[in-house]
Formats: sequence, structure tokens, C-alpha cells
Amino acid sequence: MAAAAAVLRAPSSKTESYVDTKRRDDVRQANIIAASAIADAVRTSLGPKGMDKMISSANGEVIITNDGATILNKMEVIQPAAKMLVDLSRSQDAAAGDGTTTVVVLAGSLLKRSLSLLSAGVHPTAVSDALHRLSIRAVEVLHSMAIPLDLSNRDALVKSAATSLNSKVVSQYSSLLAPLAVDAVLSVVDPAQPDIVDLRDVKIVKKLGGTVDDTELVKGLVFDKKVSHSAGGPTRVENAKIAVVQFQISPPKTDIEQSIVVSDYTQMDRILREERNYILGMVKKIKATGCNVLLIQKSILRDAVTDLSLHYLAKAKILVVKDVERDEIEFITKTLNCLPIANIEHFREDKLGFANCVEEVSVGDGKIVKITGIKDMGRTTTVLVRGSNQLVLDEAERSLHDALCVVRCLVNKKFLIAGGGAPEIEMSRQLGAWAKELKGMESYSIKEFAEALEVIPYTLAENAGLNSIAIVTELRNRHAQGEINSGINVRKGQITNILEENVVQPLLVSTSAITLAAECVRMILKIDDVVIVR
Amino acid sequence: MVVQNARLLKDEATEEKGDRARMASFVGAMAIADLVKTTLGPKGMDKILQSTGRGHSVTVTNDGATILKSLHIDNPAAKVLVDISKVQDDEVGDGTTSVVVLAGELLREAEKLVNKKIHPMTIIAGYRMAAECARSALLQKAKDNKQDPDTFKSDLMKIAMTTLSSKILSMDKEQFAKLAVDAVLRLKGSTNLESIHIIKKVGGSLKDSFLDEGFILDKKIGIGQPKRIENAKILVANTAMDTDKVKIYGARVRVDSMAKVAEIEGAEKDKMKDKVQKIINHGINCFVNRQLIYNFPEELFADAGVLAIEHADFDGIERLALVTGGEIASTFDNPESVKLGHCKLIEEIMIGEDKLIHFSGVEMGQACTIVLRGASSHVLDEAERSLHDALCVLSQTVNDSRVLFGGGWPEMIMSKEVDELARKTPGKRSHAIEAFSHALQAIPTIIADNAGLDSAELISQLRAEHHKEITNAGIDVISGGVGDMEKLGISESFKVKQAVLLSATEAAEMILRVDEIITCAPRKREDRM
Repeated sequence: MAAAAAVLRAPSSKTESYVDTKRRDDVRQANIIAASAIADAVRTSLGPKGMDKMISSANGEVIITNDGATILNKMEVIQPAAKMLVDLSRSQDAAAGDGTTTVVVLAGSLLKRSLSLLSAGVHPTAVSDALHRLSIRAVEVLHSMAIPLDLSNRDALVKSAATSLNSKVVSQYSSLLAPLAVDAVLSVVDPAQPDIVDLRDVKIVKKLGGTVDDTELVKGLVFDKKVSHSAGGPTRVENAKIAVVQFQISPPKTDIEQSIVVSDYTQMDRILREERNYILGMVKKIKATGCNVLLIQKSILRDAVTDLSLHYLAKAKILVVKDVERDEIEFITKTLNCLPIANIEHFREDKLGFANCVEEVSVGDGKIVKITGIKDMGRTTTVLVRGSNQLVLDEAERSLHDALCVVRCLVNKKFLIAGGGAPEIEMSRQLGAWAKELKGMESYSIKEFAEALEVIPYTLAENAGLNSIAIVTELRNRHAQGEINSGINVRKGQITNILEENVVQPLLVSTSAITLAAECVRMILKIDDVVIVR
Repeated sequence: MVVQNARLLKDEATEEKGDRARMASFVGAMAIADLVKTTLGPKGMDKILQSTGRGHSVTVTNDGATILKSLHIDNPAAKVLVDISKVQDDEVGDGTTSVVVLAGELLREAEKLVNKKIHPMTIIAGYRMAAECARSALLQKAKDNKQDPDTFKSDLMKIAMTTLSSKILSMDKEQFAKLAVDAVLRLKGSTNLESIHIIKKVGGSLKDSFLDEGFILDKKIGIGQPKRIENAKILVANTAMDTDKVKIYGARVRVDSMAKVAEIEGAEKDKMKDKVQKIINHGINCFVNRQLIYNFPEELFADAGVLAIEHADFDGIERLALVTGGEIASTFDNPESVKLGHCKLIEEIMIGEDKLIHFSGVEMGQACTIVLRGASSHVLDEAERSLHDALCVLSQTVNDSRVLFGGGWPEMIMSKEVDELARKTPGKRSHAIEAFSHALQAIPTIIADNAGLDSAELISQLRAEHHKEITNAGIDVISGGVGDMEKLGISESFKVKQAVLLSATEAAEMILRVDEIITCAPRKREDRM
């Protein structure tokens, strides 16, 4: 007995053909398990009937969302491999803007399959190479399924934006938000460079109050600020001449330290008078150019406006919006087609922007400033999002951002693909068939991974409360008969031609999901040690 | 009475002698070698480096130098290995893992010999002879194709692909090899990698990376300024463009009326205006400043139609000055003494979601920018490290154009020669020489092991193959057998292999010579409890 134990305990002799890989396998397994746990956490939020997550952060703030990227960002993950999955969802957000949950669920499923492959004795690099080949092939399959799209076909764009919105909290408003997103993106596309959309040209302004129904696209500019009318200035100006100023209308202040020495009472009067004259002089210069709306940049060095200057400006019937952030200046000047003015000496008429109407509108519990009818407006647009509480408002903004990204994807890569799990099943079917033509480990691995892709339709059906096995097997059957566009119709709870149901998504979302997930899984597979460093 | 055991050392200082000291060095060095061993070769694995510092940032890498650089190490011998890997990185850029593994294997063999009661000095003497012999074997087999530009270029491609095949970029190695070769050939023989600028942008995939023959600055153009300039004259400066403050502490002015304050403010504005005017008087149409440019001067520049870029980082402006042929200026009184930079075209381009400024047709033709795209910052960082290795190796190869085959071929050649030397050498040294040959064979063994191949079988096949007079046999990791390295196009730079051989031998020698370790007493800290 003792002898047998001694044999077992003896260090495994390091012969040339046998290498002890226990620790490496352990590390790999731990990584894979941690990463799949992350994937499981967001799995239930996939699809139109996916559930939401409530995240309460350390400082008591609560967020309700089913946006994968947001959930993962807020989770404080420490395990390094799990962190990579969080990064993965962030990358998908950057690349396509939508499908952030899909990509994580896909990666989780691929990881689970690789674990079983590894325990079957396939070398990690062989698994990794197989995965790479699979992802290339999968993209080919997706391309063959894609439907080219013409940008003038507004309906198709709206449909795909609606598919993205349908899985969100605000899904009941998709009929309103989808066309809005499409119009917003199309209006910032520069005809000279039709493939590039800079989403920074679409500004989203959130305002509490009202319902999501009241969300609107404003052809012009919206500030989430009040007009400064403490001195009774105008709140509505027609035929506005707008100046964006970067200087301050307040008593002078030098960069060098300065002090005014007052030695007697009469001097005090004089100083007050001088201050008044100084500001009056500035206001007169402004008025002389015909300007009647001032947007003043926030200043940390001194007051941008004082009560006194507001008073004079009000007298001169000039509408003032103060505390404009410096970051916003570029967007504003681009929209208004004017130039910022950094010094009173340079206040000339040719630097002003023109608009039909500038007015303060009260919405909900606050007020906003709207500038509409801008002359020679730049290619920008503003969306005013409304919501009955902060949570809905934030989620609406995130959903709208996703929808905007979807439309942007379509502008970049003008192809559509069916939704509802159809592309995944088709990939799984075609890749499974391909695996049979291959040999060895590769064939074995690709077969496993092809099956892993079915996780998306499974999860879709499961989240919708359907019998997932029945649904997925029927789906497989339909695809085998050549109906490549059949997918899960979650509303009706059955398999239908998903294109007829208008469930479509951009090709870019699907291709980037599969390539990014594959890349991430390959990276995790190649890790065999975790080293603690400084 | 004589005091026995007079204490030589301080309280907490410790001393280890003889066998124990040697043992401690061996164990430390081998542990380090074993740690990075699995990253060797085209099928090597990666490591996660988890930082214990703030943020617990995570790095994924298989670059030996990066792994070793960031380790906590206490063992002095292990530190020597970390150092040689660093030196290898600085000198030739690649082979950082190989050098550590080879040194580790040399020590492993030496340990066996020491246990057989062979004196370390005898081992060192044997190792030296063996290293010399191995080097001359390499020299004989090295090929030089410098005369034939086409073959030379294809050699470079092969080297780049071999280097990249062990990295994350392996799947797109052809593209990146071409990219690296093009970039290095532009340098025309200089090893100054400064003028190759690598920009990383998250998004897209590695395939979207590209080489640009200009210079790209990751900054924005000021508002209202031209977005495109042809035949630009560039002034690169490091000057305050917010306020020209008096730098005397406590300087202040006293006035007795508001109007005076306004005057001073006006004077300050005028001063700035003067400065801007002076800058514009240089006849420039592009101004790049390292410091902030405030709204007021920005507007003045916009009025003058000058493109002003603020807050360019230190690296950025030095490189920009270098590639455009200008000099960094900080005073503007003598326009004739300031050297301006020139380029054909400045324009704004968009990469991914970000806008960048592109300078093309720059003065220094060597300069170029490589834009890397990738799924996440991990991928990008690792891609940059890999590309940097490839660039280093290539720039070294351009100077020393001798080329060897890869895939364990040079090790087998050396091992064979060293074995023959062992047979000819009488005395104990021959044991050491034989051990050296064993250590050399360990490298192909590890490459095979990492790829999950049967190393014992492969190495014996390889050895048999190498017994023939002329052979190109090496390990073909992809097919899992012995293959012809020439046909597979696996090449390595002679300089890298030589550096690996020599510095690994030197490091092993240094550690072998140690017979006493004295740990100094740690400096006492104030007890803050």
C-alpha cells in the first residue's frame, strides 16, 4: 500500500515526450470558466423579449438597462480573462454600436465548446487556428446571405433601426424613434464623402419630463440651459443674429496680479462709474453689429457675465445664453455656420450666424433654448430626448445611440441581413457541412464551433419563453430545406420568413460580432499562465 | 582570549556560501527560464500579466522581454537573466525569450556537471570553447544576399514573417511583414526607428492596419481654421500661448481706477497679439505648439488663415520637427534664424471614429507612420510590441545582411559541430562541451513541445537528418514534422542568433562563477505604526 502511494507521489519523471502541463491546463480552465460566467450574466438580456438588469452602483445610483456594453462596463470585474470579455463588448460597441450582448454570448458559447475540445486532448493552438478559419468562412457565409441596400430606400433603414430598438426598454416607441434615428444620420451625411458618418455631428439632449413620445428631431440647435434673464432680457428673438463669444462681459481682470487702491470716498464713486462705462462700452459695440443673441463660453478665470452686464444686455434687447462649454463650441459654430469671437475688438458682423428664431421653451420641469431656421446650417442635427424619469431617459438615450449606430453601419457598408437567429443557424449549417470535408482535429473543432453558433437562436427562443429545442430544431429543418431567411418570430412564437416580418440588421453588426468573438476566444485560449507583476 | 566568530556583517545581512549559493542561483535562473519557456516558437502560448498596482490593469503578451521586465524578482541570478533579455531587446529587438531559455538550459546542464564534482571553472572553459566553435559554425553557414536586391528583399520578408509568426500577428503575417519591410527599407540603412511612428486606434480588425508615407498627428485643428493646406510651411514651437506671465513671484500692479485695469488688460492682449503677429511674420501657414493655445490667439491665427495645432504631446512635436526638417522654436524675434519645416499637404483624415491630422510629402523621406487597428487595446498593445520586434530585427538585418534558416536549424548545426569538438577534446572539458550541445538541442525540443508535438521523436529525426553533409532540415510546426526550411521560407537574422548565443553563454558563465551571495541588510524604515 505504502509502496503504491510512494510511486504515485514520486515526481513525474520528465522524459522527453511527456511534459507536465497541469498548471497550464488549470489556468486555462479557470480563465474559460470565469469568462463564460460573464457571458451567462448577460445572456438573458438578448433579443426582443430579453430581460433588463438593474445595476446599483456603489454610490447608490441605479441604472436599468439591457444594453450589454453598459451592463458589462458597470460590472466591476477583476478576473483578467473576464475583463477581456468586457473589452470585447466595448470593441463591438466601437465597431458597430449594436450587438454588444450578442458578441459576448457568442464568445461564451465558443469558450464552452473549446473547453470540451481541450479536455478531449486537442492542442490549444489547433483549436485557435480552427477558430480563425471558421471565422473567415463564417464571414463569407454572411456575405452570401446579405441583401444590398440603397441609401435612398428609407424604409429598409427604418426597419433595421427598428429591429435594434425592439430589444430595448423603449421598444414600444420604436415606430417613432427608428425613423428619427434614420433622419438624424442621413442629415449629417456629407454628399462629398457618402461613406463616412461622424456621430459627433448628432447631438443628443436629454430633458426630464414628458414621455418618450415627445422625443423630437430638431433642425437646429438645442441648449439644455435657461436664457439668462434675471435682468428681464428677451426670451424670444426672431431674425436672430447670433454671436458665439469666448470673452467675458465683466469688469476687466489682468493676468498679472492687480489691485485697485482706493484712498477716499469720491474715488469709490468714480470706480463704480468707470466699471459701468466699461461694460456699457462693450455692450454698445456688440449692439452696433446688430447682434441680438449672445452665446457665452464658460470661463473659469472670472465671471462670464455679471448682473450689471446682463442688465445692459437686457436693455439692448440681446438674448444671452451663458456657460456654454468649450467642447461644444466647435459643434455650435459648425451648426450656426459662424466663427467664435475671442475679443471684443474682433466683434464684426461677418462672424455672426443667422437664424429665424431663437426662443426659450419650457419643457417638463425645466427650460431649454431652441435655435431654429438657421441660415446655411452645417451638417449637424440635434435630437431632444424626453422621458418620464431619469432611468427611462438614460435608457432611451442608450437605445437611440444604438439605433444611430445601426444606421451608421448601413451607411458605411450598404448591406442588410436577416435577423431573428437566421444568420447564425445558416452559418452553423453551412460550417457543419464544411467540417465534414475537412480532416483531423480541424474538422472536429470546426464541427463543435459550428454547433456553438446555435446559442443565439436558442437564447432568443428561451428568453421569449418558447420551447427552445422544438423551435431550434424546426429552424434547422427549414434552413436545411433552403429557406435561408427563416428565423424565429418572437412575437408570434413560431418560425417565419423573417424578412417579411421586417426584422433586419446591418451586415456589419453580424460580421464584426463573429470576428471579434473569435479573436477574443483565441486570445483567451493562448494564455497559459497568469503572472502577477508590479 | 580571542573572540570567536567575530561578526563581519550587520544584523540582518545574510551570507550564503559555496554549494548553497550556487544552488540558489541555479534554481532562480531556471525558474525564470521555465516561466518564459512556453512562449517560445510559433505555437508558444501567451501570459496574462496582472498588475498589483492601481487599476489591476491586464496585459496579454508573449514577448519575453515584456514579461520579464514586469516581474517581481528577488533572486540575484534571476535578475541577471532579466537583464540579458533587456539587453537583447535593446540591441537586436528579437530573441528575448530564446536568450533566457538558452541560458537557463546551459545552467541546467551545468548543475548536473557540478553535481558530478566537476569544477565550475572547467565547465566555464568548456562552454567558452563550445560557444566559439558554435559561432564559427554559424558563420560558415550564414548566407549573404546583399548584392542581389531582389533576393535580399525576399530574405527580409522571410525574416519578418518568421519573427511575426510567433506573435499575435501570425494570422496576418504576410501583410504585416510587407508593412514592416516597406517601413524599414524607407529608412535606407539607418537603425533609427524614431521616424517610424506607430499609431494605435481601437476598432476595425488587424487587417485594416496600413502604412502611410507621411506623418500623422493625433490632434485636432482649431476652430475656423483651414482644414487643408498645400505646400505648408510649418513652425514647430514650445511656447506659452495662453498668457505671458511675469515669472517673478509676487509681482503685482497697483492702480487707482477701473480704466487703468482695462488698459493693462488691453496691454496684455496687445502683447499676445504682437507675439502672434511675430509668429505669423515667419511666413508660415501652419503652427504647431506643444502648449495650449487659448481662444484669443486661436482666433487671431484663424483670421490670418494659419492652421494652429495646440497641445501636441512632447513626442509628437519632436518627431514632427524631425520629419518636416524644422526646429523647435521658443522665441520669435529673429525669423531668419528659425528653421521652418515643410511638407506638401496637410489635411484632416478620419480613422475609425477619430479625426487625425495628416502631413504628407514631408522633407525627411524616410519617415512613415504605421496605423494599427484592432479589436481591443490588448490586441493593439501586443501588436505594437510584435511589430516593434520585427522592425528592430529588420533594421539590424539591413546593416548586417547575413541570414540563417530558422525552425531549430541553426541550433542543430551548432550542436553537431560542438559535438564533434567534444570528441576531439581530451580532458574534463569535453563533458562541458557535450553539455553545451545538449543545451542547444533544448531549443528545438521546446519549440516542438509547445506545439504539442512529440519532441523526442522529432529531435532524433532532425539529428539524423543533420548528419548528412548539407541539409536545410528544421521543425515544421505547422505540419508537425521535419521540413525543408528553405522551401518553407523560414529565416532568421544571423545577428540575432549570434547575440542569443553569446549573451546566453556569458550570462551562464557569470552565474556559474558565483560562489557566495551576500544579502545586504535592508535599510531600516521608520516605524509608522
